[in-house]
Amino acid sequence: MRFRTDLCNIKIKLQSSYAVKNTRSYAAIAYLFLAPALILMGVFTFWPVGFNTYLAFQDYSIADGTATWNNFAHFKYIFHEELFWNALKNSLLYLLIVPVIQLGALVLAKLVNNKLPGMTFFRATFYIPVITSISIAGVVWIYVYKYDGMLTWLLTSLGLLHEQIDWLGEPKIALYMMMIFTFWKGIGYYMVLYLAGLQAIPSEVEEAAVLDGANAWQRFWKITVPMVKPTILLCTLLSTIAAIKVMQEPIVLTKGGKGDTYTALFYVYDQAFRNFNFGRAAAAGLVITFFCVLLAIIQFRFFGEKK
Amino acid sequence: MKLNKIMLAVTVACCAMASLPAAAADKTKIEFWSNSLSPKFDAVMKELTAKFNSSQNDIEAVWVDVDWDAFQPRFVAAVAGGTAPSLVNLPVPWAAEYAQKGLIEPLDSKIASFKNTYADGAIKDVTYGGKVYGLPWYNSVSIIAYNKALFDKAGLKDAPKTLDQLFSDSKALKDKAGVAGFAPKLQEFSSWFMYEGLPVIKDGKAVFNSPAHVKFVERFAQAYKDGSIPKDVFKMEFEQEIAAYDSGKIAMMTTAPQALKRTQTDAKTIYAQTVTAPFPVSKGNTPFGGYLFFWSVPKGTKNVDAAVKLGQFLTNDENQLRFSKATETTFPSTRKSVTDAYFQAGANSADPIEHGRAVAAKAIVNARTLTVTGLPDEASMNKKLQDELQSAIEGRKSAKDALDAAVAYWNQKLSATK
Repeated sequence: MRFRTDLCNIKIKLQSSYAVKNTRSYAAIAYLFLAPALILMGVFTFWPVGFNTYLAFQDYSIADGTATWNNFAHFKYIFHEELFWNALKNSLLYLLIVPVIQLGALVLAKLVNNKLPGMTFFRATFYIPVITSISIAGVVWIYVYKYDGMLTWLLTSLGLLHEQIDWLGEPKIALYMMMIFTFWKGIGYYMVLYLAGLQAIPSEVEEAAVLDGANAWQRFWKITVPMVKPTILLCTLLSTIAAIKVMQEPIVLTKGGKGDTYTALFYVYDQAFRNFNFGRAAAAGLVITFFCVLLAIIQFRFFGEKK
Repeated sequence: MKLNKIMLAVTVACCAMASLPAAAADKTKIEFWSNSLSPKFDAVMKELTAKFNSSQNDIEAVWVDVDWDAFQPRFVAAVAGGTAPSLVNLPVPWAAEYAQKGLIEPLDSKIASFKNTYADGAIKDVTYGGKVYGLPWYNSVSIIAYNKALFDKAGLKDAPKTLDQLFSDSKALKDKAGVAGFAPKLQEFSSWFMYEGLPVIKDGKAVFNSPAHVKFVERFAQAYKDGSIPKDVFKMEFEQEIAAYDSGKIAMMTTAPQALKRTQTDAKTIYAQTVTAPFPVSKGNTPFGGYLFFWSVPKGTKNVDAAVKLGQFLTNDENQLRFSKATETTFPSTRKSVTDAYFQAGANSADPIEHGRAVAAKAIVNARTLTVTGLPDEASMNKKLQDELQSAIEGRKSAKDALDAAVAYWNQKLSATK
């Protein structure tokens, strides 16, 4: 009996040691696979972010590479800088595009998810702006928005406009005009993500809803939206970050933020590469990151999985 | 015997071949960056580089061209990383900030022996805080290139001689020919104050809200209101101005003569109707649009003497003239080369480029790069001034209110650094 117990103990010990060993080698292999990406991210993402955070609290001299602690001087400067707050206001205002582009992309994905002839053509067409270089798209849209350009012509022809408007020069509307450009440029990207989400929904669910007498509107809100919630979270997060980081649009459309289209990240760029004040640029970057993280937390609360 | 000779020749040749890399390795390599010259001016830059290298026993220059948009980030990154080139080609407005931040070296002692070869204005342009930071190279200046057919339509005989006349002629062009007169460069309005002889900063304080400044800005606002200047003038830069002139949307192109090269190829009909004339000189006693490029030595360069030697070579009379001939529309900054007969050869020519070159060559002698230097937060201060001026000129705010707001902002920044 005792012999059997001993044997059992040995067996258990062997099994657990094998399991530990197995787990360890499993983890080691996992880290090995992760290593290339981690090393690259470490060098090109984590280290720069860490160094940037360090610089935000220093007076950094490019000429001799010295950095000295400055008692939050950059943050104090930014706090009193009306230009930065106005730029941040514009970046936050840009968030208005997020629900519009998400809803638009979801509806568009739903439409092109139909198995009808020629649907691939529409999918490709909506995706073309995404792969078009922003500088080329910008040149075209400048002509759309020019005071004597396509938009003015169209609205005048329809009798909706009676005078020429410099769409990107008028501070009250220029930012919204930029948002329309972002909508046009980005909707295809989110459409593809939603399309992947929609195709993962089993057709039986929708068929059952049809049998139960649910109409298209009800099916969209009661089945489609809840079932693509993880995709909604991903897309909303991506577009929120993109909206707060908006910078390319003012570069290509308004020559660097004319007509009250100056954005927070543009302020960072100006401080770094026009004033060469990398410490202040880093501090401004940190403030923007703070808002990004804050919004990400809110979105996880709304769209994240409840445990 | 013959075989011995052949063997000897082969041995000598082999030794010579083997010693070649060693000799090349002994040479001090210096990299120099030009600014947006490639691919158009590859030939002349390669020619000058080869000429310099063949004249040197111990220096080898390596030419690199860097695109305009990438230049500043790449330069700053190179200085920060300790890998800056030996010599860089900078425009004056960038260099003030670099000098202030210690990114480029003062060269007074290195260039003392040949400093006098450069025009006074050019040396003043590259002097910050009493120190000379570079070797002046090529310069440009605005001229007026006007569309004769549109002038005839508006009943105008000649190009305007004063700024007031430039505005009144533009009004006539709008009224009678239906096009805006010209597209003033408004990207850095402070240069217009300097052109007009109006102070921007005095005794460490911003002073550009005097009645004279207000009146001056109101002149632009009036022109905007009556359509004498285009509605999107604040978004118009060099390229857009050329496009507007080439498509007949403005009657006068008030920019550097190199713009005419584009008109010559892109709008042959307009080019055939183009006549050139000097841009009026105002109370600042300098023509508008001076824009000097110069060679400067970045901080941390190991071979300063070799870099200065190369800079001196590139900016001597002969090579500045060679470069101007290659570009056809830029001008040297040395006293002697700018007086070369080449520049006045087209004084009586009917060809707009040749005539424009002669017109600009006369004006270039007094040209200065009009830019405000030494600002503590240049990006923000200029942004504020531009935003306020845009509001005033486009009629959303009075000129007085706009200038008062900009002056208050500037003085807050200036006093914070005292």
